[in-house]
Amino acid sequence: MRIRNKIMLVGGIPIAIAAGIAVAAWLLLNEAERARSGAVLAGAIYRDLLVAMTVRDDYVSANPVERDPHAERFRERAARAQVQLAALGPLARTQAQRREVASLQDTLARYVARMDEYIAVTTVNDRLIAEMSLRAARLVNLADEARARQHASNADIITTLTEKDQQLRRLRDIVDRAYQLRATLWGLQTALRQPDGNDHGFAVAQISHAAGSLAEALGAGRSGATRELDDLTRAAAAAGPAETGTVAERLLAWCDRLLKIEVTAQRALQEEVAQLLTYSVEANETEQATQNVAVSTLKLGQETHEALTRRDADVAERKLARSGELAAIAAALPISPLIQTDMIDAITEWGERLGTTIEGIRKQNAMIADMDRTAAAMVAKARSLNDLFTGDADWLGAFIGHVLVIGATIGLLFGSVVAFAAAKSITMPLRRLQSSMLALAADPLAGRITESDRRDELGDMARAANVFVTEISRRERDLRHAKERTDETLAELQQTQADLIQAEKLASLGQLVAGVAHEINTPLGIALTTATLLGDEAQEFERALDGNQLARSRLAHFLDRMKEGSRLLFDNLGRASDLVHSFKQVAVDQVSDEPRRFEMKGWLDDVIRSLGPLLRKTRHMVTVDCPVHLQVGTYPGALAQVLTNLIINAALHAYEEGESGRITVTVQDAPELLRLTVRDDGKGIAPQHLGRIFDPFFTTARHRGSTGLGLHIVYNLVTNKLQGRIDVESRPGAGTAFRIEMPKQLAGEPRPEALAAL
Amino acid sequence: MVKHLVAAACGLALAASPAAAKTLVFCSEGSPEALNPQIVTTTTGMNAGRPMFNNLVEFVPGTTRIVPALAESWEISPDGTVYTFRLRRGVKFHANAVFTPTRDFNADDVLFSLMRQWKEDHPFHGTPGATFDYFRDLGMPDLIRAIEKVDDHTVRIRLARAEAPFLANLAMPFNVMLSAEYGDLLLRRGEPARLDADPVGTGPFALVGYQKDIAIRYRAFADHWNGRQKIDTLVFSITPNPAVRLAKLKAGECHVMAFPNPSDRETIAANPSLRLLQQEGLNIGYLAMNAARPPFDKVKLRHAVNMAIDKRAIIEAVHRGTGTVAKNPIPPLLWSYNEAIEDYPYDPGQARRLVAEAGYPDGLDTELWYMPVSRPYNPDGHRVAELVQADLARIGIRARLVTTEWDQYRAKLQAGEPPLALYGWTGDNGDPDNFLNVLLGCAAARPGGNNVAKWCLPAYDALVTRAKATSNRNEREALYRQAQQVFKREAPWVPLAHSIVFMATRKEVKGFGIDPLGRHVFEGVDLEAETPR
Repeated sequence: MRIRNKIMLVGGIPIAIAAGIAVAAWLLLNEAERARSGAVLAGAIYRDLLVAMTVRDDYVSANPVERDPHAERFRERAARAQVQLAALGPLARTQAQRREVASLQDTLARYVARMDEYIAVTTVNDRLIAEMSLRAARLVNLADEARARQHASNADIITTLTEKDQQLRRLRDIVDRAYQLRATLWGLQTALRQPDGNDHGFAVAQISHAAGSLAEALGAGRSGATRELDDLTRAAAAAGPAETGTVAERLLAWCDRLLKIEVTAQRALQEEVAQLLTYSVEANETEQATQNVAVSTLKLGQETHEALTRRDADVAERKLARSGELAAIAAALPISPLIQTDMIDAITEWGERLGTTIEGIRKQNAMIADMDRTAAAMVAKARSLNDLFTGDADWLGAFIGHVLVIGATIGLLFGSVVAFAAAKSITMPLRRLQSSMLALAADPLAGRITESDRRDELGDMARAANVFVTEISRRERDLRHAKERTDETLAELQQTQADLIQAEKLASLGQLVAGVAHEINTPLGIALTTATLLGDEAQEFERALDGNQLARSRLAHFLDRMKEGSRLLFDNLGRASDLVHSFKQVAVDQVSDEPRRFEMKGWLDDVIRSLGPLLRKTRHMVTVDCPVHLQVGTYPGALAQVLTNLIINAALHAYEEGESGRITVTVQDAPELLRLTVRDDGKGIAPQHLGRIFDPFFTTARHRGSTGLGLHIVYNLVTNKLQGRIDVESRPGAGTAFRIEMPKQLAGEPRPEALAAL
Repeated sequence: MVKHLVAAACGLALAASPAAAKTLVFCSEGSPEALNPQIVTTTTGMNAGRPMFNNLVEFVPGTTRIVPALAESWEISPDGTVYTFRLRRGVKFHANAVFTPTRDFNADDVLFSLMRQWKEDHPFHGTPGATFDYFRDLGMPDLIRAIEKVDDHTVRIRLARAEAPFLANLAMPFNVMLSAEYGDLLLRRGEPARLDADPVGTGPFALVGYQKDIAIRYRAFADHWNGRQKIDTLVFSITPNPAVRLAKLKAGECHVMAFPNPSDRETIAANPSLRLLQQEGLNIGYLAMNAARPPFDKVKLRHAVNMAIDKRAIIEAVHRGTGTVAKNPIPPLLWSYNEAIEDYPYDPGQARRLVAEAGYPDGLDTELWYMPVSRPYNPDGHRVAELVQADLARIGIRARLVTTEWDQYRAKLQAGEPPLALYGWTGDNGDPDNFLNVLLGCAAARPGGNNVAKWCLPAYDALVTRAKATSNRNEREALYRQAQQVFKREAPWVPLAHSIVFMATRKEVKGFGIDPLGRHVFEGVDLEAETPR
């Protein structure tokens, strides 16, 4: 079996077991979670239901105006319990739980429905009770109004009665005096019937007196009657005894008519007074009765309210009967009709509402009883649900614990055994392989590793090791050959480079020589011509001398010519000599370079001069700025080569054809160091080339015969031989400056002999 | 209105509170003899029934102009004997403790209401106390030949002959429309008397309750076909004494009072809270002499009484000058009034002689009945009786004053019990027939009839019957004038006075008008503001 499989076996079995346990645990834990959530929910439901029931009791016993918050709280609790029950449904794990949840849901729904009905009935009842109060209040108002009216009426009746009383007195007066007049008249008639009429005058006087008295009683109010009476009385007074009888008869008739009217008026007035008094008494009694009805109703209202507060329907029923009686009383009493209908209505409506309220109370009581039964069932169910879920959760927890412990133990044991066996089957071949490989490392040729015929990863490994050893040997050989080839090539390259550099050096020397030759040629040519001319002059002078034709002037002329010729010769030969000296110096320096001390300025002038022939081909101007008496000790040849190369490089590459530029060589003295700058004002070096200018064979003017070694040589000389460093600064269009820093005195002191050799 | 708005603005708290009902109290003069106008003849009774009922046609208040009511329209055949009425639809009946109507007014109700009075075999014809005197006094039983229901909303009435006042008769209180459905219910319940005691109509007010001598209470009928009334409650507070009525009116215990004492005219007019209404009444107050039996079957005795009574004294003392002396049985306002007739002179001497001639040289003892309540034609029956008593005493007729309760009084008179009785009449349709026939015709002379003198003279009856049968006004007028002559000659009454009718209201009462026909119409009456306390 392959190790992988073994390892998989070893690893896999515990993992599988662990996974198995994990899955089982996960499932079980889920179940446990459900059970626990269920238990928590069931507990919450139980508590909510208990609270809801308490709130219901609060609602039932609260004042009507304070009921709403309780109803609200009840709904809140019940709704919460319902929501929780709905959530509990899916958490139920057993049929029993599900059954119990559904059952509790039903019971709760019934309870809530009952409560809603109860609230509806209570709302109606409360409204009815409030309306009853309003009606009772209305009744009292009505009674008060009636009383106020009655009081006003009493005052009015008293005024009326007083007036009527005065009228009665007046009437009585009139009637009394009319009777007196009639008596007088009767007396007169009796007298007239007597034979002797002596008393006539006396009788007439009495009639006048009685009539006057009546007229007084009649007063201004009876002007018509008074006038009639007056006329009749005057007629009676004026009448003679013969007519007296007739006049008396008329007066008597008048008197009878007056009496008839006034007596009946008196009777009618008396009746009116009696009626008014009766009415007044009755009205006050009625008013009292009205008050009584109102008070009774109020009292009844109070008692009823108490009964209703106690929700005692039977007592309220008795009050209802009483209200019926009161309405009947109010209807039967001669209560002011103005308010009677209102009062009866108020009582009747009060009674109607009470009737409805009693029904409501009965309904409420029945509902409360029913709700209490439902509540008991509900609480029992909630509790059992709680127990059910809690028990389930506990059992499940314990079960999971057992499953995990047993599963883990089994898994661990089994895993250990398998692991041990598998480890054993791996380590032994490995150890063998190790020893083989150690042997092979000691001697690669010792032969192939024997384990390679195994079919497992160790076999693979052994086979790989064999292949590895073989391959390594081959690679090693190849590498060695390659290195040898590389070394040869490198050597050739180095040789070539050296050759090239040497060639370049020689080439520049050749150029130098050609330049110098040309330079020398001129003074030497002049000297030769001058010498020739002098020779001709001398021959002429000789001929003249020979021919005696030598004049003094001729002699003077000849002398002038001689002097001039010799000056020319001297000058030109001196110049040639200088050139040679310089060249010699440079050439020597270049060819056989030995370090020496020299004065920088003079040396620099020599170098520049030696470049004259090259530079003259161009029109560039080279200026030197160097402090005098500056002594340096270095390789003059190398330095000359560096300067030459830099200046020629500038002259050749910095300018366009035919352009005249300015090349400045600046030397600065620093303690220990020499700073040398070669600057041109040419076109500059392209930035992309700037990093490569010191590379060998890099050139932009290979077509003009440039080798690309000039600056490379400069670089090598400065950094190697002169022990300095060089850098370049250039901007396109703004010229280029090469700065060299080098020790004024090389580390290896130049031998004084070298100086002497110069 | 403002009060309502404020109440509405006050919101829910007051919404359930009982709104203060608008109660209009009428201090009426007496207890009605019944609440169903079919069986009453006094204006007191008619007025008590009026708020609850409607007729097929009605008078415009204050006039005798006829307008449609429960009949929307009608047609009269050219010969004047067939009347076809088309009934109003959607008219509701009142409900009461035992009855809730299930249908609207229709032709069955018309038939029920008329047949009851007409047909003796009608289940409600023989109800105790139901004598339908008015119906009979007007000769309706003979006049009507048939009452037919054409369909639910059409009724046809066929007459035996043309009758000029027929439409006016239908507008009179006794021809109110009752609910046949209610009748059926009461028959089933075995309490037919309830039809009259606890009546159900279509009128603007429904009955709430009636306590004799105390009050009749009504409530506005919300579903009335002509709209709900502005007042909520109407109460007739029965107050026989005019002084007490006035005291109540002044106290605000009632809003309208019937017939104030003429002596209180000035008091009322001077009171800024009150308003005095007055109108010359279409009435007659009279002293009826029972011509059907001794002693007043003797014309001479009746003439003696006519001469003995000092009518001026009555006008002066009782009417306080607010009436006129009567000589004819109809008021001067009514057409056909015979101005030419000369009244008997006031002559106690001649009267006394006539009494002797009639066979009572020592005079005679008799009874004089007077009504216990104020009437428009007689503000104080008692005092008039006393005055008459005094006058009669002078001619040797010793009259004992008798009275009884008002609701009984009419029955006694109609039964012909009193030998002498004070009574009177206010015309209720503006037709002379309403006086000359109803009060003096032979049909009304039967016991129970309105002819309380029980005087039946065929010659006279022929005149008024002929006058009724024609619609020729001139012809009628001539006949009636002739009848007045016969009346004067035969003197079954002493016509006493035509009075000016007085009513008093409080200032806040709006829309109440006095009516020449003695109707108290509370339909459309309103109270302007709360009654001052």
